[in-house]
Amino acid sequence: MRTIQTSASFPLSSVKPLDGLLRYRSYCLERTRQALRGPTRRRQRSPIDGAPLEPFGDVEGLRYLRCPNSGSLFLEELPASASWAKLLQDVSRHRFSSEGFYPGLAQSRTDHVYTPKLEWIRDTLRLQGMHQPIILEAATPPSTFTHLLKDSGMCSEVLVVDEMTVAAGSGHDADAPRVHAAILLESLDRVDDPVALLQAVVSRMEEGGLLFVTALVCSGFDLAVLGLNNLYLCPPDRTNCFSLQGLSRVLTQAGLTLLEVSTPGVLDVEVVRAHLQHNPSLPVSRFERQLIEADAPTHVTLQAFLQQQGLSSFARLVGKKVSLGKGEHV
Amino acid sequence: MMRCLLFGFGYMGKIRYQVLRQHPLVRGITIVDHGVDPSTVGLDGLLLPAGAPIPWDETDAVFVCTPNNVTPDLCVEGLRRCRRVFCEKPPGRNWEDFCRIADMAAAVPDHTLVFGFNHRLHPSVQAAKSLIGEGGLGEVLYLKGTYGKSGGIRYRESWRTNPDIAGGGILLDQGIHMLDLFHLFLGPLTVVDAVLVDSFWGTGLEDNAFILLRSEQGVPVFLHSSATFWKHTFRIEVGCRNGYLVASGLLSQTGSYGREQLVIGKRQFEDEALALGNPREEIIHFDRDESWDKEVNEFLLAAHEGRPATHGTLEDARRVMQVIRDVYALADRHVVKRAVP
Repeated sequence: MRTIQTSASFPLSSVKPLDGLLRYRSYCLERTRQALRGPTRRRQRSPIDGAPLEPFGDVEGLRYLRCPNSGSLFLEELPASASWAKLLQDVSRHRFSSEGFYPGLAQSRTDHVYTPKLEWIRDTLRLQGMHQPIILEAATPPSTFTHLLKDSGMCSEVLVVDEMTVAAGSGHDADAPRVHAAILLESLDRVDDPVALLQAVVSRMEEGGLLFVTALVCSGFDLAVLGLNNLYLCPPDRTNCFSLQGLSRVLTQAGLTLLEVSTPGVLDVEVVRAHLQHNPSLPVSRFERQLIEADAPTHVTLQAFLQQQGLSSFARLVGKKVSLGKGEHV
Repeated sequence: MMRCLLFGFGYMGKIRYQVLRQHPLVRGITIVDHGVDPSTVGLDGLLLPAGAPIPWDETDAVFVCTPNNVTPDLCVEGLRRCRRVFCEKPPGRNWEDFCRIADMAAAVPDHTLVFGFNHRLHPSVQAAKSLIGEGGLGEVLYLKGTYGKSGGIRYRESWRTNPDIAGGGILLDQGIHMLDLFHLFLGPLTVVDAVLVDSFWGTGLEDNAFILLRSEQGVPVFLHSSATFWKHTFRIEVGCRNGYLVASGLLSQTGSYGREQLVIGKRQFEDEALALGNPREEIIHFDRDESWDKEVNEFLLAAHEGRPATHGTLEDARRVMQVIRDVYALADRHVVKRAVP
């Protein structure tokens, strides 16, 4: 298995500024509450290991529960799948609308968010000796990444499926074309049944196929320090916030051998700093405050340490669907 | 299913044994090493008793994990008697030893002969290989390798520092791996210059080798192989047209060479980066070394299927032994002796 560290750096304001996020977050919370007015269900057991979930806290009245074994966080109450799918489409459209904060950052996000992901996928395919694969991307449209992937020339075909349709199993088709690789960019954070999504996607993959997953993980620095005060943690985008350990485990349980478990995030320290500037009275320890108030070289060193030790909140994982052939030995 | 005969149960023999005992194609292992105490726990029924004849007729594959002076005889006999031989590096003490093995291999049709150059199967090296050329970083501009160990208080007592047994110093013992990697990246190399010194250990063999080489395309290559590197070091730098790679550390049993990693840097001039000469880098850290398993697995599969192996071939061995022969000839075997503590 491998982990990846990066020396890339860019400001928080260039990809997800806190100011812009606040308006988007209000919209998300309001729409989530609306979706929960209809019939709902409550999650009581961890999607990872079935353990009873423990109370953790709430985000403006929306309760999050905690998996006792992995530390992963899950929104307790969920509406019917169809309502959730509609909600995800709604907020996705809003993100790209004139009122959302993406349009003004389109180029910057392409440079700092999507291009590195493309390079990651390209390099990993090379390392695994996979040429011109058929790739499945599960997402809630519109997905900026789809176009970049298609234009990259690295794959022979890109199949795009709605992540909620796949998770709900209604898109299950035994005759659906098999793929060599699949991509879930923060999909496991959003969907109402992450395990079902994983299983459905893995079932579409060829033996030896690769699954690329990115996620925001609660074991990472900014989420661990800020907890539910982290303004980036809210439904529906972060309905599930796995720990790195929890995420690794669900991938393994889905029949994947992990090739990479990395946290190459670059913004943890800056995210905490931005929160403390926004609200100086946030409850953080003296030691944490000392770290955040330190000079730039200290921040660079701390961020590098978080990457090296799997302690950043941005996680990247690669899993391989493995089946040993006759006479093959690993 | 194969019955394996393992000659030598030292450091390397034990590593090979651990791989063989778990391999599904192996149904029996016999260890030949009269230096091993027969009462050693876990070796019941495995160790060939002193004086017992070598069971050649009941052997499908031979593993030669012995000191260099014994290696050629066992390889030659192994090829002659059962055609399937896995031989640790180096393939003998010198070019003449290697040629004896090569001559026997030429005389035995359908043989399987693999030499233990496991470093090319290390994850950082395999990743580096896949990224050069059409992998995105473009053609190689230069290669630079450092492989150094510290020796240790018993270093002088080791057969590795006995000229009659080892045949060469640190270049033959450890530098040979780096030469193999150079060949993996660039193909055949010729020796431009070399300096060998016995600077500390005073064994009459080089404890530091500085070798300048050139590929057939003119790519310059530099090796520093050392037994006085007080911090264990493995580092190979690959400069390419579109970036660079630095593989360092080795996932070894002791971990003394540091965490295995590969730095990937993309060339960025002022138009692409804020600061010239400080491009964005990615560092891949590896935590699993499957090189031993892959190496033995390939040998056993090749032997089982009656085909040539894909790596550690006679040609791979020939290339590194030619370079070592030429380096020793250039240095005229007169290692500069500087100091004996």
